[in-house]
Amino acid sequence: MYGVQLDQLASALGVSEARARAIVAGWRKRRLAESARLGPGAPWIWLTRAGLASCGLAYSPAPPALGRLAHLRAVTAVRLALEAASGYAAAGAHWRGERRLRARAGGRVGLREHFPDGEVHWPSEAAVAWADECWAIEAELTRKTVSRTAAIMRELLTRTGDYGCPAAEARVPGRPARHARVLYACAPAAVATVARARDALGGASVRIEIRSLPPDAALPPPAGLRVGPVRIATGRAATRRAATGPAAAQPAAAQPATAQPATQPAAQPAATGKARTQPAATERAAT
Amino acid sequence: MISRWLSLLAVRAAARLALRLIKIAAAVVLIIAAAPVSVCAGISVGAAWLAGWQPARLYRAALWCAPMVAVWLAAIAARHNVAGLVQAPYQAWLAMWRHGAAGAYPAAAAVIAPAAIPLGLAAGGLAWSYRIRSMQAGSGGLAPSSAVAFDLRQWRHQARSARARIAAPGSVPLNSPNGDLIAGAVIRAVGHPARRTAVIPYQRMRSHQVVIGTTGTGKTTLLLRLWAGFVASALRRHAAGSGSLPLLVVLDCKGGGDARRIADRARRVLRAAGAASTAVWPDEASLSLWALPPGQLITTLVDLIEHGTGGAAYYADVMEAVVALAVEAPPGPPRDTADFLARLEPGWLTMAYSAAEHDDAHALIRAAARQTGDIALRFRTLFRRLGSGLDGPGGFGDADAWYCILEGTAETSVAESQARALVDLLASYATAAPGGRGQAGGRRQILLAVDEFSAVSRRLPIWQLYERARSLGLAVQVSAQSWQGLAADEDERYRIAAAADGGIWLLRTPHPEPVTALAGSRTVTDTTRRLLGVPLWSHQGTSRMRLAPVVDPALIRALDVGQAAYIYRGGATYVQVKRLVAAPAAVGSRTAETAARTVAAASPRRQEPAAGRDGRPVEPIPPGLTELLDEAFGTETAP
Repeated sequence: MYGVQLDQLASALGVSEARARAIVAGWRKRRLAESARLGPGAPWIWLTRAGLASCGLAYSPAPPALGRLAHLRAVTAVRLALEAASGYAAAGAHWRGERRLRARAGGRVGLREHFPDGEVHWPSEAAVAWADECWAIEAELTRKTVSRTAAIMRELLTRTGDYGCPAAEARVPGRPARHARVLYACAPAAVATVARARDALGGASVRIEIRSLPPDAALPPPAGLRVGPVRIATGRAATRRAATGPAAAQPAAAQPATAQPATQPAAQPAATGKARTQPAATERAAT
Repeated sequence: MISRWLSLLAVRAAARLALRLIKIAAAVVLIIAAAPVSVCAGISVGAAWLAGWQPARLYRAALWCAPMVAVWLAAIAARHNVAGLVQAPYQAWLAMWRHGAAGAYPAAAAVIAPAAIPLGLAAGGLAWSYRIRSMQAGSGGLAPSSAVAFDLRQWRHQARSARARIAAPGSVPLNSPNGDLIAGAVIRAVGHPARRTAVIPYQRMRSHQVVIGTTGTGKTTLLLRLWAGFVASALRRHAAGSGSLPLLVVLDCKGGGDARRIADRARRVLRAAGAASTAVWPDEASLSLWALPPGQLITTLVDLIEHGTGGAAYYADVMEAVVALAVEAPPGPPRDTADFLARLEPGWLTMAYSAAEHDDAHALIRAAARQTGDIALRFRTLFRRLGSGLDGPGGFGDADAWYCILEGTAETSVAESQARALVDLLASYATAAPGGRGQAGGRRQILLAVDEFSAVSRRLPIWQLYERARSLGLAVQVSAQSWQGLAADEDERYRIAAAADGGIWLLRTPHPEPVTALAGSRTVTDTTRRLLGVPLWSHQGTSRMRLAPVVDPALIRALDVGQAAYIYRGGATYVQVKRLVAAPAAVGSRTAETAARTVAAASPRRQEPAAGRDGRPVEPIPPGLTELLDEAFGTETAP
């Protein structure tokens, strides 16, 4: 994912929108993040090159694509809903976003490869029956054809290799599948198609879970759309609040330090105690 | 008489000695008197010798001192008057000696520095220039061999400086501020401007180039840098609105595991350069031969089958007629291999051309009915050997870069057919009208890089590729391990090298003479010296002008790894190529580990029960899973 809306960022940080706005202002002042009102609803925030670098990420900095705003919001909503579930945090699961998967794949052309919207990795030591599993997450807003959806499901269920692995290892017959389950979070318009595609899979359909998207996953209606930079306070007081304000933002930003594996560099700022001034939480939500 | 003659000789010798001593003494006095300038000049000459700099660099350094001198003079004019400016250097010199006599050495240095540093640098530049010229002319040094030793020593110093320059982070970026490609640090330039970095204008990357270098000389590193530089420059121009999107197509005609390793490295390097996607053909991506226009498809299909001349030409004509019937059949061109093979059957063709207006086609079908089965057999065999790489889906427009691996070493005949098909596909893509079937191929700037194309060029001579590319506006970059690997015969090699108007990159190779000869010659001064007695030579002799090769073949044979000579327009620049560091490769080994911990694969064709780490089946819906999902998303959605 490439960006996050302010209200979702506030949810991720566990703070109010006003507080999240001040935090973003601090990031903007330090040129770690950019924000703009790209579509209906709250402004979007995304990391600049410096922000990505401070999180230890080598992605190409870019604002969220306008055509994907609804999808990005839906995926973030799915992630927030999962992370809010008590079993998720207790098990120490962690999210691996599409952007990270694509980055792992490098410049590999996507002619034959479908990337899920995210992956959830359950640690082996978790006290749940699905410990050590990897789930593929798909957020479906629009209706595809049944055959296309079924093809994507098959691809996810039969993949054996990690994203970015040599092509010869992507699907090795007889080797255990990468995704133990696929979770589809669907908008009402897409539920029927996804369900029919699941039925078309036969025995493998037991590994497909279909749920509704969270209520706040949809973008608000486009009435009153205003495109342009957002006025976010960048004054000294706002910056000071962002840098030294109440520790409300700290738990949400520090949480990934324990939840994410060591290979996830986004956890580094939190681990060094600079979570309040680093955009790791945005990146955690955005990746 | 004899004693008087001997006395005269003695007097002349004594006078010469005295004159020489006076000269030396005057020089020593001058050096001591102008000690600050002398010290600065000595240091600058020493630095230039150690780093292999050109005198121009010392002159530029002297010019960069101009602001310091201006401030110094302005301060003097402000304190005294304008007339005091004339005496300023002399007064500074006097003050320097006074401070020196008092033991205040830092103050002495500070007082004289504004005047001494620029003068010292300029004097050092002159002295270094004199030294270089005298060595190049052969008149310097104690022995005639001194010039050779000096040149070799300077090469070592220049190469060491270039290596240090590329090792410094950020000193050699991929592109210059105006978007040109930077290949590396300049070691030495002959007939080219002496710059610190080797800047290759983008337009030269849009022209034909040749790269020659044996294995292990850094050829792949150079090629990767050139490809990445081309992509980055073109993307930058495209972003600025002054050019179209780039397309890089690499034909690796050797194949094998090495080609795949290079493909992976190329992908990561190109990714860092801005190429969003790199397709590796045929391992990971495919192209559709059937996307060719019908007329071109017929030609390509017929050329894919090897057929002889003489009596065999009859069968070639029959084959072409049958293929044309199959491709131009009323239902439209074939969609894929299976569709095409199904058409190579008299019954299918008769049905397709059943309408009354196809009487000519019916006659052809009847006449070729006996051979149609043989033709189908040959094509069936060909497509089985070619594999699925040309059966789609996909086209060159789907990626920013294509790395095509042809097994020219292991399966030459197959690779030849693949090369022929790929070139036809690329030509069709390049000539496609914007927005047409070729997905706007006519709007992209295409660089076709072929490595060891001679391995597969039996049925598509490389000069033909050159000519064809020129007419299509493609740039072709041909690379080979040796002069002989460039093409099959000498005439073809010269045609390729002579047409490389974007320059020739020459790395270490055992037989560089044909290429160095193409670089031309330059005029040098050749000086003879009188032998006084071994090991003494006088500084008297005669000089003459002679022609020497611009590129020394012996130097090419001695090039180190990563060093290359860029030959262009009668000059050569020796470059220490800067290696591009790509992002780390994806960790493939994690695949097995991770997968082993998850559940078993369920093939779309053959459903297998999911299995756990130890092979036991896992429950489809384990306890607690529904509760977790219900908590996050609500109850399961019913369609």
